Amino acid sequence: MNQLPTNHAFPTHNAIGELIRHLFPGGAVYINGFLTIASLLLLVSILPVFLIWLERKVAAHFQARLGPMRVGYHGLLQSTADGLKLIFKEVLKPEGADTFVFFLAPTLPATATFLVMTILPFDRHLQVADPAGGVVYALGVSSLSILGILLAGWASNNKYSLLGAMRSGAQMISFEISLALIMLLIVMLTGTASLREIVLSQNGTILDWWIFKLPFLGLIAFVMYMISSTAELNRAPFDISEAESELTGGFATEYSGISFAMFFFAEFVNMFVSAGLATTFFLGGFLAPQIGIGAIDAAFNFIPGFIWFFLKTFLVIFLYMWFRWTFPRVRVDQLMYLEWKMLLPANLVLLMSSGFFLAMGWIL
Amino acid sequence: MMSDLLFYGLVTTLVLLSLLAVSLPNLLHGAIALIGSFFATAALYIMLQLEFVALSQIMLYIGGIIIFMLIIILLTSGLGQENRYMVKGRRRAAGAGVSALLLIGLLLTISQPSETLQKATLRAAPVTMDDIGFRLMATNKNGFIIPFEIISILLLVALVGAVVIARRDNGQEQES
Repeated sequence: MNQLPTNHAFPTHNAIGELIRHLFPGGAVYINGFLTIASLLLLVSILPVFLIWLERKVAAHFQARLGPMRVGYHGLLQSTADGLKLIFKEVLKPEGADTFVFFLAPTLPATATFLVMTILPFDRHLQVADPAGGVVYALGVSSLSILGILLAGWASNNKYSLLGAMRSGAQMISFEISLALIMLLIVMLTGTASLREIVLSQNGTILDWWIFKLPFLGLIAFVMYMISSTAELNRAPFDISEAESELTGGFATEYSGISFAMFFFAEFVNMFVSAGLATTFFLGGFLAPQIGIGAIDAAFNFIPGFIWFFLKTFLVIFLYMWFRWTFPRVRVDQLMYLEWKMLLPANLVLLMSSGFFLAMGWIL
Repeated sequence: MMSDLLFYGLVTTLVLLSLLAVSLPNLLHGAIALIGSFFATAALYIMLQLEFVALSQIMLYIGGIIIFMLIIILLTSGLGQENRYMVKGRRRAAGAGVSALLLIGLLLTISQPSETLQKATLRAAPVTMDDIGFRLMATNKNGFIIPFEIISILLLVALVGAVVIARRDNGQEQES
């Protein structure tokens, strides 16, 4: 890992970045910075529209229906139409609500997802920034979405909202512990906290990905990551913060129009970010899957890395959607039982045994 | 030039947000101002090339402490009202005097050209995460291995203790 360039601040040495550096040597820093932010903004605004369509389609096909079919090809434009409708709707504020906090809260989860996205390695040279402590950054910044949900619940001046927000806050803080412990496991195995180097440490065949590299333990860690991140995302079967049948919508009850859309969109982008982190940690990120057969490997290597990244990420997203339509919702106490009595001790044992494996050199 | 402008902008934001955090009549608004000031502090650390300190600032203060503060604030009643408390003129004057003395002392100390201070600044400037890790785990004279291990055992005890407390609660429920 010593051959890597030392300056990881802006690893944007792709064709577009080099072209702009060539054309405008003086202003390249500003133009490239602007371009990276603009392309991320574009991705953040397109992703939820597509993911909402995908979720509705997946849900429909799991229930043997067709889902949205009318607007565009197989309903592709349905969520664009829904988004436009939400934007033009009136934004209502409940009486007695705290205006400043009420309108601040929806922006926080969206900000958090955008900030985490800046460190996702989409390709070898397609990443906005690569801080040495990328994992710490991702954990710290993602807590902004907890803040947003807590503040939204309180500012709505509604008992259901506050209950939903409190449930959600307790849930997200609890599951962040196991999420952090699993990330710590990967950091311990790779010896680096930079996401780019975590991906590069999985270079080689499929068996070098962290999900398979540790015999059995990697697979267990991946399953535990999926459980904790589903809970962290407030998705079914852990969506007790929204629980329509009990809380009429949880923290988002009083939100309408664009404010609600912000929460809804942030949730879906968050799912993408979480799946992207799973891809980075366990599935080899942008690396093409190599199976050891020359011709197939060469063909796979020909496909650019970001396509592999998106393929793997959407595979994980499909898993999240599959969970949603497979498992029934758990109760609050069952959720806390799962985290504090099962996942946390299991995590500590996993961490210890992985350390033992690493010390003994029992890695594939 | 650019970084000077950025520095003054950040410092102004930091001072304003910190003032707001202590002076806003609504407790929750004060907490939100505090979050902003923590972010400004993290940005200052990044300007000082102290990446790890900035990241831990974000993770510990914004990710941990502020969330618990918010949960505690949200669980207290009578939050929506504005709680104004009039401070007497004499106490105000005394506070202003103490702060002025501290400010003058700090200015005097910092403005004096000191060789040790300069050396320390030069040595401290870019600290990478690896440096901090190696220093923490070093066993020689400059290492911090023993405090590090003690703290990690303390944190592990806290985690295991949380599990034990959760277990005991369940047992009592089943008995009664």
